Amino acid sequence: MNTPIYYQRGEYIETDTGNKVSRRAAISGPQNIILGGKTIISSNAIIRGDLRRTGPGHAVVISLGRYCLVGEGCIMRPPYKTYRGVFNYYPMKIGDNVHIGANSIVEAATIGNYVEIGKNCIIGKFVIIKDCAKIADDTIIPPNTVVPALTLFAGNPGQIVEDLPETMQEMVEAQTKQYYTRFQPYPN
Amino acid sequence: MPPAMRDKITIHSRAVVPQDAELKGDITIGAGTIVHPKATIFAAAGPIVIGSGCILEEAVILVNRRKEVMRIGDDNLFEVGCRVESPSIGNMNTISARARVHHTVRISSYCFIGAGCLLVPTEDEILEEYTVVYGPSAERRNWSGRGKLQEADLRRKHADYLKEMLPKFNRLRRGDGT
Repeated sequence: MNTPIYYQRGEYIETDTGNKVSRRAAISGPQNIILGGKTIISSNAIIRGDLRRTGPGHAVVISLGRYCLVGEGCIMRPPYKTYRGVFNYYPMKIGDNVHIGANSIVEAATIGNYVEIGKNCIIGKFVIIKDCAKIADDTIIPPNTVVPALTLFAGNPGQIVEDLPETMQEMVEAQTKQYYTRFQPYPN
Repeated sequence: MPPAMRDKITIHSRAVVPQDAELKGDITIGAGTIVHPKATIFAAAGPIVIGSGCILEEAVILVNRRKEVMRIGDDNLFEVGCRVESPSIGNMNTISARARVHHTVRISSYCFIGAGCLLVPTEDEILEEYTVVYGPSAERRNWSGRGKLQEADLRRKHADYLKEMLPKFNRLRRGDGT
């Protein structure tokens, strides 16, 4: 499990706080996106920071915590609705140690800490995912769903399949940290 | 690949099409239509004509493989990552995330196609008005039409919002004519 995952040195830009962002990721409105540090954004991901809440000043659109991974081809966009007759996009908050698998589409409102999302998932608008939940590959979660803590969701539409052990937090924490250390440029 | 066609792209002055969107072939985009970055419109054989007030989100793929004109009406919403080859689409339809509509299906109006649905019949068919396609096996039922006005209102406000916001963060693309 300690074998490194190599990438071409020029492909990722590393920030002072250890975020690694692919040059081939499409990030619009970067001034509205916050990365917590040691977060990896893989190539061909699309992150929409331009869909911001209207109003003065700058609004945070998407905030990611530490040790997150946005997989290849992922699309992250904030959810929208009309509230009291006014149309708006609403911010998306993602906690620490969250891994999102390749080609998933995420329009969630909140994702807690230590969450694992599989590949090819569709997370609907305003979904709330609590801490230490796990979403299996190819799951489609309908809009406004709440995924409780320590549960495994799977299927179309996504449903609770089983409860997860309480050790989930430590497991995911170790896994995400290890992934970050394994993810390194080719030595030369 | 079909023989290379000359690109002929006509974009209405009130449409919003970023440079990041990929347009190929003979395409006409109507007033107030919003195309998000990274969407693809590919008129492989015949031309594609998009009406007014449509919204095409990221990674949407519209393809016309037929010789005839692919006509898309007004106020349709194509959500993230859907792929549509349908030769004709009416008004006020919603194609949800990662749905696929084959070229054998014609969509009338007020239809809803759920997330991840595959609509790939081998024979030609027309989706009647107010059809809702949902679930993993693409089941169908009819929408009563309740909340139609609210839906139309949301769609209009959404398009208005994007028309204002997208140009602030994305470089826009103009048609050939202007």
